[in-house]
Amino acid sequence: MSLETVDSEGQHIASAVSDEVVINLSQVNKWYGDFHVLKDIDLTVYKGERIVICGPSGSGKSTLIRCINRLEEHQRGDIQVNGVTMDTNLKNIDAIRRDVGMVFQQFNLFPHLTVLENCTLAPIWVKNMAKSEAESVAMTLLERVQIPEQAAKYPGQLSGGQQQRVAIARSLAMNPNIMLFDEPTSALDPEMISEVLDVMVGLAESGMTMLVVTHEMGFAKRVADRVIFMDQGEIVEQNTPDEFFNNPKSDRTKLFLSQILAH
Amino acid sequence: MAELTHTDAVFTPKPSQPPPPNTVGVVGWLRKNLFGGPFDSVMTIIGAGLLAYFAYGLFQYTIVNAVWEADSYRECLDVTQGAGACWAGVDKWMNNYLYGRYPDAEQWRVNLGGIILAVWLAPFWFEKVTQKIAVGVSAVLTYPFLAGALFLGGDNGLFMQAMSSVALTLFAAVWLNVAACYSGRRSLGAVLVQVTGFAGKDDRLYKWVYLAAFAVGFVVAFIFQSTWNLAPVQTTNWGGLFLTLVISGIGISTALPSGVILALGRRSKMPVIRVFCTAFIELFRSVPLITILFMAVTMMPLFLPVTLNPDKLVLVIVAVCIFAAAYMAEIVRGGLQAINTGQYEAARAVGLNYWKMMTLIVMPQALKLMIPNIVGNFIGLLKDTTLVSIIGLYDILLMVRASGQDPKWLGMHTEPMLFAAFVFFVICFAMSKYSQHLERTIGGGYGRR
Amino acid sequence: MAVLEKGSPHRASRSLSEWLHDERVRSVLYQAIVAIVVIAVARYLFINTSENLQARGMSAGFDFLSTGAGFSIAWSVLPYTAGDSYFHVYLVGIGNTLMVAFVAIICTTLLGFLVGIMRLSKNWLIAQVASWYVEILRNTPLLLQILFWFLAVFSLLPRPNKSLSLLDLFYLNNRGLYIPAPVPGDGFNITLIAVLVAVGATYAQAVWARKRHFDTGQRFPAFWTGLGILFGLPLLVFLVTGAPLTFDYPALKGFNFLGGASVPPAFCALLLALVIYHSAYMAEAVRAGIMSVSHGQTEAAYSLGLRPGMTLRLVIIPQAMRAVVPPMISNWMNVVKNSSLAIAIGYPDLVAVYMQTSLNQSGHAIEIVAMVMLFYMSVSLSISMALNYYNKIVQLKER
Repeated sequence: MSLETVDSEGQHIASAVSDEVVINLSQVNKWYGDFHVLKDIDLTVYKGERIVICGPSGSGKSTLIRCINRLEEHQRGDIQVNGVTMDTNLKNIDAIRRDVGMVFQQFNLFPHLTVLENCTLAPIWVKNMAKSEAESVAMTLLERVQIPEQAAKYPGQLSGGQQQRVAIARSLAMNPNIMLFDEPTSALDPEMISEVLDVMVGLAESGMTMLVVTHEMGFAKRVADRVIFMDQGEIVEQNTPDEFFNNPKSDRTKLFLSQILAH
Repeated sequence: MAELTHTDAVFTPKPSQPPPPNTVGVVGWLRKNLFGGPFDSVMTIIGAGLLAYFAYGLFQYTIVNAVWEADSYRECLDVTQGAGACWAGVDKWMNNYLYGRYPDAEQWRVNLGGIILAVWLAPFWFEKVTQKIAVGVSAVLTYPFLAGALFLGGDNGLFMQAMSSVALTLFAAVWLNVAACYSGRRSLGAVLVQVTGFAGKDDRLYKWVYLAAFAVGFVVAFIFQSTWNLAPVQTTNWGGLFLTLVISGIGISTALPSGVILALGRRSKMPVIRVFCTAFIELFRSVPLITILFMAVTMMPLFLPVTLNPDKLVLVIVAVCIFAAAYMAEIVRGGLQAINTGQYEAARAVGLNYWKMMTLIVMPQALKLMIPNIVGNFIGLLKDTTLVSIIGLYDILLMVRASGQDPKWLGMHTEPMLFAAFVFFVICFAMSKYSQHLERTIGGGYGRR
Repeated sequence: MAVLEKGSPHRASRSLSEWLHDERVRSVLYQAIVAIVVIAVARYLFINTSENLQARGMSAGFDFLSTGAGFSIAWSVLPYTAGDSYFHVYLVGIGNTLMVAFVAIICTTLLGFLVGIMRLSKNWLIAQVASWYVEILRNTPLLLQILFWFLAVFSLLPRPNKSLSLLDLFYLNNRGLYIPAPVPGDGFNITLIAVLVAVGATYAQAVWARKRHFDTGQRFPAFWTGLGILFGLPLLVFLVTGAPLTFDYPALKGFNFLGGASVPPAFCALLLALVIYHSAYMAEAVRAGIMSVSHGQTEAAYSLGLRPGMTLRLVIIPQAMRAVVPPMISNWMNVVKNSSLAIAIGYPDLVAVYMQTSLNQSGHAIEIVAMVMLFYMSVSLSISMALNYYNKIVQLKER
């Protein structure tokens, strides 16, 4: 079996990693009741770095990125985002959430607001932006995700792919410097996956720091600076996509790759 | 890579560590659920304090300071000074709370009626029994006649005798069916066919076998019941919890069929039928039950022939049935709306006509969905039945009020009301919990059977 | 061609059986049967009724409405004297029903929201207490609860000369609840005008604050400012004009209280029972409504940096209200209907004064039953019209 780093979709896009640390996790542990979901996670993410996290379901990958914007609370270890330490201080949590955008598997758009209102809600109410300014920012972003014509519609009137692109635009409206993606294409029909991935590739080209939980290996090969493989709450292996796919170190990784690339 | 198939062979995960001590166990639970923050802790302490205060007060009143033996309320008050319950009075009146003024010597008939119903419906909960729908339908349609004959006593005419015989026959059939199912046969019908030697013959003949068996059973039952010699008990002597259950029981069992008809009528494409059903449903849903009861006892006698002098209980039951049917109709309509249009289309596509589509495809699915609401409606009706006390029927609530006006127990209000509240709570709470249980077990259970 | 015109040339010669199996013919037939049955039953009832009325020497019609009722009503919102007509009794009854229902609806909504939110509390004890509150109240009959409050609480209150009192202003005894009645003096109208001005100003500043926020992004503490204007301005005007309001305080004279305003114990018991009973249902509606908003919505709002308070106000409540309002309104309808249980404890509501007393006295059963039902139906109809309108507005747009 031959594995190529560069798939048919195009060249691996240029990396823009600086040596500035934006996320630092050290010895992070988390339990759900007695169940140990994250075990001694150490992870450093540099500015502009694009990380793809993969692994079998239940391996803790979603939990890991949800800890980074405090949708989940970790119980032991340190998490620093943009130099701010995650603790129970609400000011710190607010500061982190302002700078970290998140895209969910189930989109989680607000169904009672139009597409445009979804994108302007947080800028107006959190950043105290003027409405007209927030709207022009939102329109720019909707053009970037290629659905400006849907601005006045409600989420329920859009297709899944369109909804997910709105969700990306909504996160970008807060002008974050880190984006978290929690299986952004898993709830989509096959023909809609590529329109969402295209937007994410565009985002990567612009130099955004991204942590992406996904099973789209083509995307990982093309975009990632680093691929992390997790199983049973720990990071089993992390490497450049080239090394990861062609020359996996751990047998567990080899098994995983053989299963997902078998057909 | 083909040999790599088992996760365990290639990967040894780090051992799971125990979570930090203050996040699990009793301490973790307390921290998470009771003392999550300063505000939470204050709320918990205030809540626990109030709860303890009320619980202690109730305990003192109902148990510690209560009087269990006394001959009058005065005697109780002398002991308790009002700080404890006088259960002695409730005990003395207990018979009236349960049976009203039904003669003591005849109360076994009420008990027997209750036991028959319980035994009749018991096969519902038996794992192996088939044709549970038939069990339910037979009980709903014929039990009221048997119960009526039992409770009323005396001679009630040929029709009642025939219907009670039908009920007895079906009751026996239900339990013979249970016996058949538990002895490894498929159903009572299969046994009958086998015994009479028709097995394997043209199955169109089977129904004649069933009919013949029923006829035999009916004759036996008729002869059996004609030997009964029950003393008549006027409905004016019916009362207490017994009367409450009779009224609400009849109400709910007639509400289901009439509610189905009204709901179908309301969804009908025929304007005359639709308008009539809609008007009926909306009229009786928008007015309070008490006005329907007043209508029944004041206005309905005017509508009936001068010669007819209808029993007040009958009028009240008619009113309750109308009321319950209107509410049930909306529940059925909700259930019908929840059925996917695909089911209607598929039924039409395989060539079923309207009634077959409804009885074979739509209703069985809709009824399952409606069970929680039907039980909710029954609980509501059981509670609402207490309104008959306002127009002077001696249900449990009027008995409760009467006991406080009994010269011997004058002023005894709190204790009987606590007793009645307890009775209603136990019945209604058990039913609602059971319906929640049903909702969980049959809600998504289409794949299971 | 012949295939295309199948059936139509033979229409005239169809057999009876074919005709009976035609869908449209059947439809007409069924409807005709139902109509005939309904009319026949109505005619039968009408004949019986006229015979009955003749036998009793009565005549149908609404003439009795203008005759004097001649009985007294213990307590009424609308003025009433014993000589007033039956129609006036009808209105007085409606007034009393609406009075208790209106107050009960306001209180039960507030209490219901409180209990509903308590049931969702992360605090286990609070959630359990709220849950048992709901279970106990929903599983016992309302009539029993009304009787309990009336017989076991309000009837056991002390006599007037031993009243429970609060600050010597409010008195509670077995004759009812006595509160000070406000007596406006000269110039009190100015304060009333100030109240109206304050309401207008509060609204205007809320609109202005919102506009400024949208235009410039700057926030303005509209809530606290509004609160200040709403209470501050009327108070200021009231004090400047020389506090022209006195109170008529209830005071014990002999065996009873005089002065002030009062409501009878039956009113208190009915109100309390209605509020507490329906608050349990309201709490369930609130709980179900909030639960119907998926947790993903909260997470999405948090991940955008919205604080919990804002998340509740901008994301959760607007969505939850769609699910809460319909059951809430039908619950209000139930409050109106259940206020008719007043009759059990002698509060003079519509059913008690009209359907019982007036009917017993005048004997016009059909007319009176129809009038009472008409009242409840029109209340129900207007409420369901409002509900339909609301549903139409808030309906989520879907594909």
